[in-house]
Amino acid sequence: MANATDEVIRTQALARSFAMGSTTVHALRGVDLVIRRGEYVAIMGPSGSGKSTLMNLIGCLDTPSAGEYWLNGQPVAKLGQDDLARIRNREIGFVFQTFNLLARATALRNVELPLIYAGVPPAERRERAAQALREVDLGDRMDHRPNQLSGGQRQRVSIARALVTSPALLLADEPTGNLDTKTSHEIMTLFEGLHRAGNTIVVVTHERDIADHAARVVTIRDGLIASDEVQARGAAS
Amino acid sequence: MNPIEATRLAVESIWANRLRSFLTLLGVIIGIASIIATAAVIQGLNVYVSEKLSNLGKGVFTVQRIGLITNRQDFLDAVRKNRKLVPADGRAIALRCPSAEKVAWETHATTDLKRGTNEALDIDVGGVTAGILEIEPYEVGEGRILAEHEDAGAMQVAFLGHQIAERLFPGVDPIGKEMRIRGQAFTVVGVAKKKGSFLGFSQDNFVKIPFRTHRKVFGGTRSINISVKARDAARMVDCADEVRAVMRARHHLAPGDADDFSFLTAEGINDLWRGLTKTIFSVALFVVGISLVVGGIVIMNIMLVAVVERTREIGVRKAVGARQGDIVQQFLIESVLLSCLGGAIGVAIAFGASELLAAYTPLPAQFPAWAPPAAFGICTLIGVFFGVHPARRAGRLDPIEALRSE
Ligand SMILES: Nc1ncnc2c1ncn2[C@@H]1O[C@H](COP(=O)(O)OP(=O)(O)OP(=O)(O)O)[C@@H](O)[C@H]1O
Ligand SMILES: [Mg+2]
Repeated sequence: MANATDEVIRTQALARSFAMGSTTVHALRGVDLVIRRGEYVAIMGPSGSGKSTLMNLIGCLDTPSAGEYWLNGQPVAKLGQDDLARIRNREIGFVFQTFNLLARATALRNVELPLIYAGVPPAERRERAAQALREVDLGDRMDHRPNQLSGGQRQRVSIARALVTSPALLLADEPTGNLDTKTSHEIMTLFEGLHRAGNTIVVVTHERDIADHAARVVTIRDGLIASDEVQARGAAS
Repeated sequence: MNPIEATRLAVESIWANRLRSFLTLLGVIIGIASIIATAAVIQGLNVYVSEKLSNLGKGVFTVQRIGLITNRQDFLDAVRKNRKLVPADGRAIALRCPSAEKVAWETHATTDLKRGTNEALDIDVGGVTAGILEIEPYEVGEGRILAEHEDAGAMQVAFLGHQIAERLFPGVDPIGKEMRIRGQAFTVVGVAKKKGSFLGFSQDNFVKIPFRTHRKVFGGTRSINISVKARDAARMVDCADEVRAVMRARHHLAPGDADDFSFLTAEGINDLWRGLTKTIFSVALFVVGISLVVGGIVIMNIMLVAVVERTREIGVRKAVGARQGDIVQQFLIESVLLSCLGGAIGVAIAFGASELLAAYTPLPAQFPAWAPPAAFGICTLIGVFFGVHPARRAGRLDPIEALRSE
């Protein structure tokens, strides 16, 4: 059995509910999940099942209504806003379905953004951002603004931004949701490479063949884990 | 995030919305520009007045029937109570005030001047004893000043202001020529150097004739102004006390009675002037203060709009690790920069305006050196004060909700 320090994520009865006027929506109703260093996990489930809610909690963008969450062995469920900001900055790289790039900034500036908040000095910052862009094959697009890039390129910029701080965990919520099939596969190939390079990756997806890239598939239904299975590698290709 | 980075972001976003930023700043620009322009005019006038007054000579003061009047009631009281001053008062002062070095007097009348077909209407004609031209120095341009014996003999001679000489004697050397004052013939003995104008009023349209001649021509009832030069300028106050004692005795005032005459000193005029301009300035400051508050509210409003427009950007920044303080700082710097930009434009406009005023109008405007730092300080305060609320609103946004907006 793996050592506890191997655990990047451990949640226990993690729950999140939203008050909507007089009613309460229970988006997550007690999720126990452990993800170890170097794992590649796909999260699937029908629309509205709570996948994004779970990812936001894991990504420290949101705080749970109940339950516990340890990130790298450190309890984070009750941390304050500034501590969560620091964790988002240093320990997590988040890739969004809608890219969430700054429209007015170049690819390079977008990738530099986390380093700015990490207090990295300008010269080093630019060097590391440029390196991250080269790693996603965008070395020749650094001065382009998002609206001068294709969807796949934009998503690669946002992946570079997620990776630039060398986080312990890479989270992606439907990263291919806005991309065509071919571009989706490019992005998934990129993730596979990152996984082989030792990154811990959690990807939310609707599509089975996207999930097939992952070694483990967790299915969520109505805010609970319905299944959690390890699958044979390379099932997709 | 370090402040340089935040400043860079602020500059970028102000530049991205430059027209809107400029329009937003109009209130601040106008406020700052008008207060500094007002200050420039006042400062210019102050310098001018001080300069003129220091010309008046050190240790010189004037005893007058009615002094500087700042309200109507004082004026009416003075007219009713105060006795006319007469040459005998001046002689008594000269005789009985040991610390007075020189005593001279002057009386005034307004009349028309003529030379052939050239005329000057309603001109101030001063009747002076010879000493006055030394106590209140009139610089001689041509000829000479009036002499002692011309007063003693009540001779019909005149010393002209520069402008009068030009009007009555265009293209002619006036010295030794004749002119008419109230129909009587006078010989010109001298012309004063040009003094220029102040607030559009020429200071060169006067005529001085000997005191006794003035009495002869205009009658003997007008009150006189007695000018006294103290032996020691530093002890002018003592000299004034001696003069006061003499005058009170001559007017038989009891110990508790108020003076029924008044003193005019350069400092007195200066104080009155400063008091007046201070009042003008504080009224201007109040009016401009209101426009700055309005300007600040406009900035606050536009910053609130910016927070709404950039909610998603704020969400992205928070998602990659910006803390609440980083966002607050970014927006606060932006509002301070915005308001300081308005201040800078206002200062530039005020500078241009005061140069133009000085060059093309009679107002001797002078751009005050303290204006740029003061404007900078005030605008920083406005930026912080009106920027805090929008900045905190931005800082408190929830990252998820911010990302989901649009
Ligand atoms: N901020 C919120 N306020 C109220 N209800 C919310 C909020 N966020 C999520 N929910 C609700 O929680 C449930 C789970 O939403 P979530 O976004 O996690 O679903 P999902 O699995 O990501 O769906 P999809 O596949 O469509 O993205 C939904 O019923 C949704 O309406
Ligand atoms: Mg979702």
